[in-house]
Amino acid sequence: MRSPEKIRKAVGAVRLSRRGLLRAGLAGSAATALGGLASGCAVPTGSTGRNMVLWYWDGGLGDTVVKKAKARYDSSVDLQAIKIGGYYRSKLITTMSGRAHVPDIAGLKGEDMASYLPNADQFVDLRTLGAEKYKSQYLPWKWDQGIADDGTMVGFPIDCGPVAHFYQYEVFRKAGLPYEPADVSKELNTWEKFFAAGEQLKKRIPGTSLLTDVNSIFENVVQQGSKRYVDKDRRFIGDQEHVRNAWALAVEAKRRGIVSKLVTGTPDQISAVDGGKLPSQLGASWASYDIKNGNPKTKGRWRIADMPVRPANNGGSFLSITKACREPQQAFEIISWMLNAANQASGYVDAGLFPSTPASYDLKQLREPDPFFGGQVTTDVFGPAAQKIVVAYNSPFDVALGQPIKDEIKNVGVLGKDPKKAWSDAMSKCRRIAKHLGVSY
Amino acid sequence: MASIKGSRRRGVALHAVLVVGLLLSAFPFYWAIIMSTHTSTEIFSYPPKLLPGSHFVQNIRSLFDNIDFFGSMFNSLLVAGAVTFLVLFFDSLAAFVFAKFDFPGRRLLFTLLMLIFMVPTQLAIIPQFVIMAKIGWIGSMTALIVPAAANAFGIFWMRQYMKSAIHDELLDASRIDGANFLRQYWHVALPVVRPGLAFLGIFTFMGQWNDYAWPLISLTNPDNVTLQVALSQLNGVHGTTDYGMVMTGALLALVPLLIVFAIGARQIIGDLGKGAIK
Amino acid sequence: MATALEKPPATVGTTSATTQPKKGLRKYWHLYAAISPFYLLFLCFGLIPVGFSLYLSFHRWDGLGSMEWAGLSQYQYLLSDSDFWSSIGNTIIIWSLATFPMIFLAMVTAVMLNAAVRFKNVYRFAYFLPNVTSVVAVAIIFGSVFSTNFGLVNALLQAVGLDQVAWLNTPWGIKVAIATLMTWQWVGYNAIIFLAGLQTIPSELYEAARVDGAGPVQTFFRITLPQLRPTLLFVLVVSTVTGLQSFTEAQVLLQNTSNDSTFSGGPDHAGRTMVLYFFQQTFDNNDFGYGAAVAWGIFLVVVIFSIINWRLVQRRGEE
Repeated sequence: MRSPEKIRKAVGAVRLSRRGLLRAGLAGSAATALGGLASGCAVPTGSTGRNMVLWYWDGGLGDTVVKKAKARYDSSVDLQAIKIGGYYRSKLITTMSGRAHVPDIAGLKGEDMASYLPNADQFVDLRTLGAEKYKSQYLPWKWDQGIADDGTMVGFPIDCGPVAHFYQYEVFRKAGLPYEPADVSKELNTWEKFFAAGEQLKKRIPGTSLLTDVNSIFENVVQQGSKRYVDKDRRFIGDQEHVRNAWALAVEAKRRGIVSKLVTGTPDQISAVDGGKLPSQLGASWASYDIKNGNPKTKGRWRIADMPVRPANNGGSFLSITKACREPQQAFEIISWMLNAANQASGYVDAGLFPSTPASYDLKQLREPDPFFGGQVTTDVFGPAAQKIVVAYNSPFDVALGQPIKDEIKNVGVLGKDPKKAWSDAMSKCRRIAKHLGVSY
Repeated sequence: MASIKGSRRRGVALHAVLVVGLLLSAFPFYWAIIMSTHTSTEIFSYPPKLLPGSHFVQNIRSLFDNIDFFGSMFNSLLVAGAVTFLVLFFDSLAAFVFAKFDFPGRRLLFTLLMLIFMVPTQLAIIPQFVIMAKIGWIGSMTALIVPAAANAFGIFWMRQYMKSAIHDELLDASRIDGANFLRQYWHVALPVVRPGLAFLGIFTFMGQWNDYAWPLISLTNPDNVTLQVALSQLNGVHGTTDYGMVMTGALLALVPLLIVFAIGARQIIGDLGKGAIK
Repeated sequence: MATALEKPPATVGTTSATTQPKKGLRKYWHLYAAISPFYLLFLCFGLIPVGFSLYLSFHRWDGLGSMEWAGLSQYQYLLSDSDFWSSIGNTIIIWSLATFPMIFLAMVTAVMLNAAVRFKNVYRFAYFLPNVTSVVAVAIIFGSVFSTNFGLVNALLQAVGLDQVAWLNTPWGIKVAIATLMTWQWVGYNAIIFLAGLQTIPSELYEAARVDGAGPVQTFFRITLPQLRPTLLFVLVVSTVTGLQSFTEAQVLLQNTSNDSTFSGGPDHAGRTMVLYFFQQTFDNNDFGYGAAVAWGIFLVVVIFSIINWRLVQRRGEE
């Protein structure tokens, strides 16, 4: 038992150092908290100072255009272009709900556009910034997609997404299939012939599959048409002919064994593509950027042909200005410059973003042969495809009500689930979700 | 004779099994080292490479180009450090009160503490998000630090520790000398419970370092995230991932905790056992 | 003064060494002040949010617009939501696949560590290592270990002549992969806890057993196991509460398997645990009202499961 004397002495000796530490620590955490509070109040919902924050995703804008924009507007703003990974829409909307660090300029993916439009009040109406005078330079149907029901213009068009058939030249030749783009376009012009080609491919070169997954067929067939999952009157139409037809085709593809069990983007799938085991993809123009990045080793081995029946439209995005932006006029100047015909042509070269400005089609960049596609002039396919796109009505509820159907067809493809059961599961899920969201069934 | 040989054989067998377990425990770390020293193409080859390669520096360079590695590590350090400090302070203070003092409502308040301990954190995530959105904390480290600044587990732990470690005679002696509450806490209680504090500190630090779900949601500014979120962002690019770089990131993210562990290993392992028994 | 020094040491629940007369609550203000930070923090970031969460679950809200009253419809939707129920199933299956092997391995390891005299600290350090890591980093590493064509596990399987398994592409493969990750992480941690428990068992019991001629297995089941019961209970309770709320492992392992969501949980959502489902509904679908209801659903499941756990182990203790 130590004596109180000794304790006091020992305690006294340590007193100074610990007190100092305590003071420092308290001061530190108080500073952090206060600093946090202060910054919390001082930083409003958007960026500070000269900063102009732009959110987009990898391949959403061409690198050259972004770099040029930074340089061009450097005297007035610090343009910070941030590439957001993961699920873009979720991140953007969550950030907007969080009311902090909301970007000034936000890219909006075409397939999500309909879900942003009901929240048009989160964005600046571009008409108030003088957008109307640019209208004539853009494809009319694309321009309209960026406008909400009450006329508010939310998005300024970037690209459109005409879908074509990407295939590997040598693999098709080895399998005895037509291999020149013109021949492929002509001979694989119906789904039946497309599937037959897939069967022949599998027979001649074992271990190959024409496409990666059934969703590719399902979604593209739906996007070839003018209807989606919910109509203008908030009625569920996902159980109608156009969806059933797409479903049947996807099931057929699975039955005839022309799809693989791999998941796009996984290392297994990437290496299969590299090895020529997955020679085809149905992709939009911007998908060429994904292939160039994900499968660089396959340079020169691809060609592009028309997809069966007629072109679909997949994607194609917009740029918007959020309410958090403190300099909307400046932001508008930036985006209208970035998205003019000349820059959209540059975006095509960098990221395969097919311009929504018809004036670009005559520009040199769009007539360039692309070495990645064996020197083919890709506009020869995408250009006419873009003209033939059928415009559809996109409902804000399409995402939620299309998801169960897409999930279930994926189960059919990857897990071999019974198609009839998958369809009824999908329909009952849609019924529930429709009720939850107030869509009539 | 037979029994000695038998026991020796058993001893060898025992160690053999333990070594296998050791290898299994350590193997993923080795695997991370292997993968971070190869390029993506080498990683995606079959059969898998079992020895380290030579592309470590390359991978590190791409890693630093792609994410603000040190920035996010600093954020993690800041958050973990601040929370640890606050937790140690608030929890030990409260534990001291519960352990050594009687006052009206003590039992009630302590029972309340136990109930609080059982409330799962998910329930609070959405409202916390909404509230913090209103006060402008979303996207800042404050949103991570403040809610975690005191927790029920720490109070339980320190209270147990203090009950036995702080001898009443010592406390009385200090009171006789006229020490007020804070002095008693600072001069008598804290020095004695330093090992318990060490354990709680390391435990809290590790927990905060690993915190993932809440930061994933609340750190909406992609330039200002913690290490775990940065790693996840790195891995989350669909389809065009440089795995060598991602694995390098994963490996480097393991290092700080390993250092902390190496320093405090005896403390953690020892006190973990003791605490569980009580 | 003298009486204070002669008092016996404080025991649980009784008045401690201080014998300050009660001069009204004001006397104790500094004590209340000392414990208040915790309660204040809990009020602001615990109680109020939980209350608001309950409020929110009776509304429809997308986080941006205005809140609409929805009555009990979110809960009705929850009850009929097969995705929610399957997420509960996923969580429980993954938890079982992880916890039972983990406890078994932890106990066995503890027994062996107890018996090993040399290198004890080396072993303890190494076995504890998996717990001292970044969960995100480990999930990334395990993701590549379980890769179908390039993963170590399949390489090993093929080396012994078995077929590849598409781990992260099939429902059961996914569950096993997640469970393996969780088991790997926690065996060492719990082994240390069991080890401490083992060391409190008086050696007289073992002596008695040896005298009675009991072999090692018998000793384990008749002596070691019953003595370890309180430790086992502790481990089980902690595993239950943390395991049922697992999020990070499933999210990180499967974040790249879907184009539409980072919370999808893989093919057929086989890895979508309850908390993962909660995140998906709340932040992917911006359905804050429904998310709140899901959170309450999770809470109920955890409570019920914990009670069942408690009762089961208690009853076995009474036998």
